[in-house]
Amino acid sequence: MKLIGKIKAAIAAVVLGFGGVSSVLADDEGPILVISGPLSWPFFAAVKQGFDDGAETFGLDYQFIAVTDTSNMTSDYPRLLQQAISRNPRMLLVGEFFPDGMDPLIKEATASGIPVLIHNSGQTLWKQNGSIGFIGEDPFQMGFKAGEIQAEAGVTLGLCFNQVPGNPTVEERCNGYVAAMEEAGVETIYQTIGTGDATNPQAMTQAIKGTLQANPGIDGIYTLNAVPAMSALRAVDEVGRKGNVMVGTADLSNEALLAIQSGDLAFAMDQQPYLQGFMSMQVAFQYLNYGLQPIGHVKTGPLVIDQSNVDATLDVNRKHAGVRGAS
Amino acid sequence: MTHLLRRPETGAFAAFFLTYLFFALATPGTGFVSLNGTAGWLNLAAELGIVAIPVGLLMISGEFDLSIGSTVGAASMILALGTNQFSAPTWPMIGLALLAGAVIGLANGLAVVKTKLPSFIVTLATNFIVIGATMGLSRLIANVTSSSIFASDSAKLAFAARFGQANISILWWVLVAYIGYRILAKSSFGNWIYATGGNEDAARAAGVPVERVKIVLFVATGVCAALVGVLQGIQWNSGNSTYGMGYVFQAPIVVVIGGMLLTGGYGSVLGIVFGTALFGVISSGIFYTGWNTDWIQLFLGLLLALAVLANNYVRRLALSAH
Repeated sequence: MKLIGKIKAAIAAVVLGFGGVSSVLADDEGPILVISGPLSWPFFAAVKQGFDDGAETFGLDYQFIAVTDTSNMTSDYPRLLQQAISRNPRMLLVGEFFPDGMDPLIKEATASGIPVLIHNSGQTLWKQNGSIGFIGEDPFQMGFKAGEIQAEAGVTLGLCFNQVPGNPTVEERCNGYVAAMEEAGVETIYQTIGTGDATNPQAMTQAIKGTLQANPGIDGIYTLNAVPAMSALRAVDEVGRKGNVMVGTADLSNEALLAIQSGDLAFAMDQQPYLQGFMSMQVAFQYLNYGLQPIGHVKTGPLVIDQSNVDATLDVNRKHAGVRGAS
Repeated sequence: MTHLLRRPETGAFAAFFLTYLFFALATPGTGFVSLNGTAGWLNLAAELGIVAIPVGLLMISGEFDLSIGSTVGAASMILALGTNQFSAPTWPMIGLALLAGAVIGLANGLAVVKTKLPSFIVTLATNFIVIGATMGLSRLIANVTSSSIFASDSAKLAFAARFGQANISILWWVLVAYIGYRILAKSSFGNWIYATGGNEDAARAAGVPVERVKIVLFVATGVCAALVGVLQGIQWNSGNSTYGMGYVFQAPIVVVIGGMLLTGGYGSVLGIVFGTALFGVISSGIFYTGWNTDWIQLFLGLLLALAVLANNYVRRLALSAH
């Protein structure tokens, strides 16, 4: 009888305990929501790989939210963010790609007590909008580094080719490139293309070819993605200036890495997208469980990939598809 | 002479000629009119042209296909995953990619014919479904959304050979245009296409197999879109699920520039070819001018509007001439 009584008490305690725990959890039981870039870009496919691996490593569940149609991102992203906030998430991990629409929403979220961690874009905003931190590149520095390398190599007229005009983060790379070149006294040209052609390598090739013909002095090109980088190489070849134009790019692809190996492409700026996802997940885990967080901006780029380290990168690429944001 | 003027392609040719003249004069000494410059805009036009011709025939029959964009990307990814992740031989994978295009077209055709819903909506849905499925499956299979293509030498010869700087895609364009011309202008199936788009009920009453006409054209469009995916994939050694997204609207645009009526029942293959060539000239020529590219879409829009106006003017002139 006594024993049974004890068991009953124990069961009651456990039930009560569970009840207690679940009622505590109920306050912050919402999902962990990630708002990140479109998966059609190999770059963000690697970011998601990092999120997935991080979630598995730290035993977290999360949901990945991104646009599939990239033609209207400036208004789509604030809408996605709004929807995510209204689900009262336990934590929000956000790429702040379009600050004008997204920053007020992030301020709302942080004011209402939702912890927000920024990744990839938004490096100048996270302190003001109440986020706990930032993990990613500084796009201006990415471009600046590229400009420094080209200016040092003796480029006298640089071309920055932006295939997605209107994206402030990507534009910052061109701004950085131009700033570094200007500092070294080198002139630059800024080129964009129509939005319908952002994923058409043939259209980008012909566009760069035309610009090279119209400006015979161009001897350096900086592209903002690996696909236009291949278009730039083809264009340089077609106008017969191979070897006279130094081509470098932001971000990687297998083709770009092979082109670095063969010496056609001078360098690629890696911002290590996998780390942006994985480290975001790590910070989320440590913040939610222990209240710990890194202090300040966690930089994942730029890592310069050139002939000195391209072989190792290609090797990783073969063994772990997608992790380097290139395949 | 009057006969020549009355043809649907006359206006498109005039617009093309004026546009070309404009860029030839606006880009002195940059090599736009050189052999290499010409190869450049032809390469650009060829890939768009291959898919624009069946889209044009479809529009003559009174239907739209907006799923071409994602079909291009899907075909390139099938080839990439097959030759890279599965180390499969190239040609069977090319066959599979084209087959996928045919299946997408068949699904479009059946859905449009059976549900009687506007093809504009049906194929827009297909466009999302296909790109979503492509990305989802690619991620599932290989954890990537773009991937290298390892094509055999014979496949490279057929789809990526270059003569100087001209791509073999130009020959494919000519071939597709020739087949399209034979069908539309010289076969009874061509008459059926015009009849279906002109007045569907009358055509049906006259015994035209309207449903079959539409389904066949949807399948042809899917196959041609997949062919463009194969061409782009092998040329750039890489498959990407977003290849071709620009064609969703560029293809109908060049078809309309080519003199087609949006309501169907009127148009010619040669007109589409000139419309595509015009688009190629504008979108590559504009960079030879060295103008500030921030304004590029403004120029593009203005030139397109002017080209269509010129086309319209010539056509009206032609149709009123006696």
